[in-house]
Amino acid sequence: MRGHAHLIAAYHPGNSVVHRAPLRLKAAFLLVVAVVCFAGAGPFAASGALTAVVVLHFAAQLPAARLWKPIRLMLVFLLLIGAYQFWQSGPLTAWRILAGILATVLAANILTATTPVDRLLDGLARLVAPLRRFGADPERFALTVSLMLRSIPFIIGAFDDVRDAARARGLERNLRARTLPVMICTVAYARQTGEALAARGLGEAEE
Amino acid sequence: MTQELAPASRTAAPKLRQNGTALGRGGAHASRPRWNAGDLALIAVFAALLAASIAVPGIPVGPLGVPITLQTLAVTLCGLVLGFGRGTAAVGLYVLLGLVGLPIFSGFRAGPAILAGPSAGYIIGFIFGAAVVGALAPWALRRRGRAGWLFAAATVGMLVVHGLGVLGFMAKGMGYWPAVLADAAYYPGDIIKNVLAVAVALSLHRAFPDVLLRRRR
Repeated sequence: MRGHAHLIAAYHPGNSVVHRAPLRLKAAFLLVVAVVCFAGAGPFAASGALTAVVVLHFAAQLPAARLWKPIRLMLVFLLLIGAYQFWQSGPLTAWRILAGILATVLAANILTATTPVDRLLDGLARLVAPLRRFGADPERFALTVSLMLRSIPFIIGAFDDVRDAARARGLERNLRARTLPVMICTVAYARQTGEALAARGLGEAEE
Repeated sequence: MTQELAPASRTAAPKLRQNGTALGRGGAHASRPRWNAGDLALIAVFAALLAASIAVPGIPVGPLGVPITLQTLAVTLCGLVLGFGRGTAAVGLYVLLGLVGLPIFSGFRAGPAILAGPSAGYIIGFIFGAAVVGALAPWALRRRGRAGWLFAAATVGMLVVHGLGVLGFMAKGMGYWPAVLADAAYYPGDIIKNVLAVAVALSLHRAFPDVLLRRRR
């Protein structure tokens, strides 16, 4: 199950106020930050939002490295936008846009870093439940989600096996030899899963 | 088992398993054919394929060993193999769970942060790209010289993804030409991936003839 560890990588365990806050409060905070930053607020509002988010980040006892990592991932993009906006509309607008992007990204990261994945998925299920009125089927939806989660390690394992097999034949750089067997495995696995579900009467539409 | 499942889908859809729209939550209209367990499993496993495609290292290609990542390949394959309804649902499920907070976007990024970042346009574009490819795929598969038509379908999907990617750049305050130039860097890799996707899809349709089209009698 070596492929599964990455699924919890975003969560940073802790017992801060932010960790204990209810999910809907954190989601509402994220929404407010996003609206303030993208609904044309001035540079001071954007700076305020960024400051609030950074304060909250440390209130949640998250390591400072977590502030830098998302910035590093989009550094080139931020530089491009900053340069373009500086040239087009001056330093204030450039700062407003950059601060807005940073504040929203970091606020969203706080949400995912302080909430375990199973609680996020529960939140999603609660979000879907009212759609039952419009003919949605939360049980089948939940079944599909759990099927997806349990399939990820299998597929990562298939990629590893196929890479080893291709390497043994000297085809490590052959794209077709590296991908086609994985896809055959994947579709066959989906077929078997579907048949196993059908044999147990799971996942069929209720009519 | 296939024999058991087939009649249900045959009565539901006379020509091919044309599945409905939206995410795999069942239908808003009672008349629309519903997905059976096999369809749900395909949607879930292809969504898992998308999630896994960012967790495996890229494949080195050519003398320089430029790594080819597999995410857009998986998106195209969702459309080519599953068709419109199920392909859109698979990519939609992947994006939804990524937005909810599973670290399954490239670089193990997760959560709604992705919508505030530069790749927002591409992430949303994946859903529409797979939908377009999936809508064209059954038609392309029935034509003579289907490899060419499948490649055309994949190309249209690629253009949709790139178009929305450029819009995503511009929505974050980038100018038109810088956005187009930043986006253009991804075209060569994506064209290679489309060729590969068509080769893989042809083999898959040969190995599993009823995965998208109904078997001819």
